[in-house]
Amino acid sequence: MELSYWWILPLTAITVVFAAWLHRRRKPRPTRAVAYGERLTGLPEYQQALRRHRLRLALAVLLGAVFLAATATAAARPTQRSTEQPEIRNRDIVLCLDVSGSMTGTDAAIAGVFQELAKEFDGERIGMVIFDSSSVHVFPLTDDYEYAAEQLKLAKEALDDGAGSFFDGTWNGEGSSLIGDGLASCVQSFPDTDPSGDQGTAKRSRSVVLATDNFLSGEPIFTLDEAVALAATKNVKVHALNPGDVDYGGRTDQPGAQLRAAAERTGGSYYKLDSPEAVPGIVREVQATEATSYRAAPQAIVTDTPAWPLGIALLAGAGMLVLGWRLEP
Amino acid sequence: MFIFSHRRTLTLLDGEYGSVFKGRSLDFDELRAYVPGDEVRDIDWKATARHGSPLVKRYVAVRRHSVLLLVDTGRNMAAEASSGEGKKDIAVHAAGVMGYLACRHGDDVGLLHGNEATSLYVPPRAGEEHLERLLRDIDSQITLESPHGKIAKQLDYVLRYLKGRLLIVVVADEFLPDDHTEAMLRRLRARHEVLWLTIQDAELAPTPGSAAKDSTDVRTAEPIPSRLAMDSKVRAAYATATGERTRRRRDTFRRLGIAEEHTGGSEDVLTAIFTLLEKHRSRAATTAQRGKGGTSAG
Repeated sequence: MELSYWWILPLTAITVVFAAWLHRRRKPRPTRAVAYGERLTGLPEYQQALRRHRLRLALAVLLGAVFLAATATAAARPTQRSTEQPEIRNRDIVLCLDVSGSMTGTDAAIAGVFQELAKEFDGERIGMVIFDSSSVHVFPLTDDYEYAAEQLKLAKEALDDGAGSFFDGTWNGEGSSLIGDGLASCVQSFPDTDPSGDQGTAKRSRSVVLATDNFLSGEPIFTLDEAVALAATKNVKVHALNPGDVDYGGRTDQPGAQLRAAAERTGGSYYKLDSPEAVPGIVREVQATEATSYRAAPQAIVTDTPAWPLGIALLAGAGMLVLGWRLEP
Repeated sequence: MFIFSHRRTLTLLDGEYGSVFKGRSLDFDELRAYVPGDEVRDIDWKATARHGSPLVKRYVAVRRHSVLLLVDTGRNMAAEASSGEGKKDIAVHAAGVMGYLACRHGDDVGLLHGNEATSLYVPPRAGEEHLERLLRDIDSQITLESPHGKIAKQLDYVLRYLKGRLLIVVVADEFLPDDHTEAMLRRLRARHEVLWLTIQDAELAPTPGSAAKDSTDVRTAEPIPSRLAMDSKVRAAYATATGERTRRRRDTFRRLGIAEEHTGGSEDVLTAIFTLLEKHRSRAATTAQRGKGGTSAG
């Protein structure tokens, strides 16, 4: 606990001393001189009333002192200085959704989850790319969460429908589910890393949430391996979600295993999905791992904490009002 | 109007009171046989002719009294009276009226005043100038700095040092006489004629709502907030206590046979003094008389 304007306190003390001095110098209020005051002061009723009166006065003085001290403290601006390693929330996330027919359920779930997540985002950027035989940027990396949420809502609705103009432009190439091309487009949607390695700009973590079953049909320009290599050069982690992992045995050339290998090569993770309902849990898990792995340099944070002194001042003030009302004849 | 004396004076000076001394006046007393040395012009020739031997007329000599103003000049007299005026002013006023009445009547006026520390005595003398001086004394002695008053000291002084019969007019406030003081008063009453004028003390419990100032006790310097005194419970208790106190004071004076009257402000000083004088005079009928009743004049 520190005070920004600590000099207010000595100033208050000086003012109090000065006021006390003035009070002492003040001419006493004219009173009438009476004899045989014990006619009244000797009465037990009077003694009792006097004790009550004194108690109230003492309480009033106490409350006044507390009020003054609290307001002076509040005026001195108490601040809490803490060194904190804040969780950096400067992540860039690109949703990379394979919109081939088998994937729409999962895609809708992912869009739904991110639509919810976008509401809590603060500093993150989110983008969305859908691909089938060609890829389409639904929206680029943006921190306009309102817009992103709106787009994600539209995407979710379209994906739930499974048809409509939303998917326009995803069939321009040959074949379908050109995953390498899709992933490459997603990776390309991140800006280039600064070659000079400037920490300020390159400090954003990058991740791609890739939803695909890795059933390739057609000739992609980028193979999955090439796309993953590209992702690695751009420091992009790929988190893969596979709803259609139907691998048999431990062979590495099976689609699921390939995808797992690709994701893990970028430092990302691989999740096998049994149903779209599992998506939210997985996405949050991904979010959590990302959150814990990125921490900024220790930072001194100065926060105003006027609540305590002001709260005490409020209570003391209220008490004084009640007392003042009681002290009135 | 003058201060009536139930007893004859013992002094030789002239005045309008009945005296045990025989002398010249308009008040015929008796005839007695001429003895050498008697004034020839005192011989009642008609009676002598009738009687055969010289007879001399005797008159009751007209003598004057000494009136002693016994005033409490303690600090308590610097306080407020029930009218809001200073008790000092009322005391000076009352002493002045009494002294003036005595002066006009031809009596000597003396003063005994003081507090618990000292008693100051000014012997009785005639004349308004002397009275003026006495009043100045009273006025200058009563301050908030002077010691507290204790009338028993002055009573003791009178009993101890003052000889001769005096008409004592006491001007004091509403102190509560204790047993010692009461004993003194009884002795005083036996030796002198005592008239007691009480100046009522300030009301301590003002009525609620009135803009009463706070009070300070002159003895203890203890402040008495008027707000506390306005409390209804305190007021009720105060009223009871004050009633009891007044009753005890009255009983004391009645028991002692001292004429007592009280005054609250300078407006009713005259009324109070008149009542007091009347009470004192009528006591001749109610209380047991020593000697023959005095002659009344005025």
